[in-house]
Amino acid sequence: MQKILKVAQREYIETVKTKTFILMLLMLPVMIVVIIFFGRRLAGSKAAPRPPLKIAVTDLSNELSAQIKTSFDEHNTSHPKRQILLQELQAHETSDAVEKQGKTKLRQGQLDAYVLLDEDILEGPGKIHLYTYKPKAVNLDMLGTVENLFREVVINWRYQQQELDRQLFDKLRNVPIETVEVGSADDEERIQSEGQRIARMVVPFFFIYLLCLGVLSMGQQMLSSIIEEKSSRVIEVLLSALSPLQLMAGKILGLVGIGLTVVCLWGAAAYGTARWQGLNVDVAPAMLPYFTIYYILAFLLFSSFTVGIGSICNTIKETQSLMMPVTLLCIVPILAWQNIIQQPDGTLARVLSFVPPMTPMVMILRLSAGPEIWIVEIVASIVLLAASVLATIWIAAKVFRTGVLMYGKRPGVREVLRWLRQS
Amino acid sequence: MLSGVCKAFGEVHAVDNLSVKVPVGNIYGFLGPNGAGKTTTIRMIMSIIRPDSGEIEIFGDRSVEQAKTRIGYMPEERGLYRKMTVRKVLSYFGAIKGLTAAELAGRVPWWLERVDLADWSDKKVEELSRGMHQKLQFAVTAVNAPELLILDEPFAGLDPLNTDLLKAIILEMRNEGKTVIFSTHVMHEAEKLCDSILLINKGKVILDDKLAQIRSRQRSHAVCVELEGDTSFIRKLSIVTKVESQDNRLEITLAKDADPQLLLRALVERVRVQTFEVKVPSLHEIFVNLVGKSDAEDS
Repeated sequence: MQKILKVAQREYIETVKTKTFILMLLMLPVMIVVIIFFGRRLAGSKAAPRPPLKIAVTDLSNELSAQIKTSFDEHNTSHPKRQILLQELQAHETSDAVEKQGKTKLRQGQLDAYVLLDEDILEGPGKIHLYTYKPKAVNLDMLGTVENLFREVVINWRYQQQELDRQLFDKLRNVPIETVEVGSADDEERIQSEGQRIARMVVPFFFIYLLCLGVLSMGQQMLSSIIEEKSSRVIEVLLSALSPLQLMAGKILGLVGIGLTVVCLWGAAAYGTARWQGLNVDVAPAMLPYFTIYYILAFLLFSSFTVGIGSICNTIKETQSLMMPVTLLCIVPILAWQNIIQQPDGTLARVLSFVPPMTPMVMILRLSAGPEIWIVEIVASIVLLAASVLATIWIAAKVFRTGVLMYGKRPGVREVLRWLRQS
Repeated sequence: MLSGVCKAFGEVHAVDNLSVKVPVGNIYGFLGPNGAGKTTTIRMIMSIIRPDSGEIEIFGDRSVEQAKTRIGYMPEERGLYRKMTVRKVLSYFGAIKGLTAAELAGRVPWWLERVDLADWSDKKVEELSRGMHQKLQFAVTAVNAPELLILDEPFAGLDPLNTDLLKAIILEMRNEGKTVIFSTHVMHEAEKLCDSILLINKGKVILDDKLAQIRSRQRSHAVCVELEGDTSFIRKLSIVTKVESQDNRLEITLAKDADPQLLLRALVERVRVQTFEVKVPSLHEIFVNLVGKSDAEDS
């Protein structure tokens, strides 16, 4: 046991010390901060002047030119940095000819958009046609403004025709809604914005995303550690002092430590940012022990996968194809995230809960999704997971024992199976 | 210690029914040509690979795992963590060999001093030269003060100075009553160091005895002499089969069972004898002779 701890300790310290690990550890929190920080900056830069949007309009109803002009003038005065240059294309001959002319100008780049109002737009089923040619992404929000301005012009005209007071209607239609979440204490109340509601949806996702990142980064460290020991031939010296099982157990333990470190630091960083951003992230404290169990079991399971994979490979390159299925196991729950969260008791969620490599992620999703899950199901999933961890370690130990001293060709499936049969 | 051990890799019988008992407190030379099965045997002793059949006992015990802290093993393929410092590598391996923190605090600096690496203790292993790497590897092997030292080709890649340093340490350890097994195919190293020799070829024992006894048994029939006077008569003596001359120095091969004393007497009667030396066969000759013979028997 003493020896196992020594191995784990070295594994942990030597990994934590490497530059790549520190970089990787810092990358996620730094990225979150950068996105929030610059996201605001960029949003602020919406006020920066942009080149004016050039549009042309043909009004086949011949009723609205004046209103359109006023409406756009008003827009241009109130948004000096978002000018829209409006020109009118008169329908001198046929409407088809003018439409064609407009589209040509569009293609030549003289216009950013060409708008055609049908003749029966005011009282019939006519439409506003908005033509663009290879629209630039930067102009997309401006085009939205253009659409709105035209729609408003038409609506206003219709109100006037019916002799209705538009302001009155708007007033009648306006019913503000405030979403408030009540806390456990009497005066504890929080007004929720839409963003916070989304954030609440994302929290469970964050937990499994964290688990997935932890598993994958840990796996990577495990592989590079074993490959280093194999290629520098330290392994034989190690095996002269330790049994293969001790060495493997130490490695797994050290790497689980690494995984938990990553998760704790990133989790803390994410929680800190959320608070800083005024988001209240609630995780029911009752869930945390379960989460911890699932996290640890998941790390044990995946690190024994990788220890087996690493031991039969000689280069990092060789490990990649074998790591593919492991990565996929992480991705499936992430893909099924929405489905599981909306139906935590659905068939998909229940079935995936009992597919061991996915159990931790699916169960974390289901637990954080809200409804009470039958305790028996939780315990059963943990027992099954623990059993599969033991089975994986048992298999990994056999593969490790033989594989770790094999140099040269990577053994095939049949050979690995033969090792498993040997006692 | 080893009894009836076999190991086959596919068709090749790397070690074939090997039974050996290594004497305690000796330097035991484990000799054999390339591919004789030396490394395979050593790995089986260390339970790094398992024998197909047969049993291995260390310190009278079947479980090598228990004995590992009492053994120091230096594999043929050297390897240490390249990114760790010299001191840390030595401490780490000491620790996994069961040394306590207090023991490490004393032994690590002592060994670094002993192999002339004290100045390098905070450098990373990858910065060491090959020779220094090798000396550190030896320190790693011996740091736990093992009762049994197993060295696979310990002098490969060392300059004469460092070779002497290691030899001195090995002899020192033998004098402390420790057992040293070392494999090599460089005969003069074995000749200078070993008390006993095990010679294997193709996984089979050819020779297993004390060096002195091997020598006396493998008496050669060659005599070297330096003479003054006419030497042509020597060829005609009945006990002589062959004479090779170089200036006044002659190498005389005697007939089987002939006593060199008879030759000396014959010489003294006729010429002035300046030197007379009965040649002791070198291990090299014995090796070539025996391995060649066993190869011939096989084919």
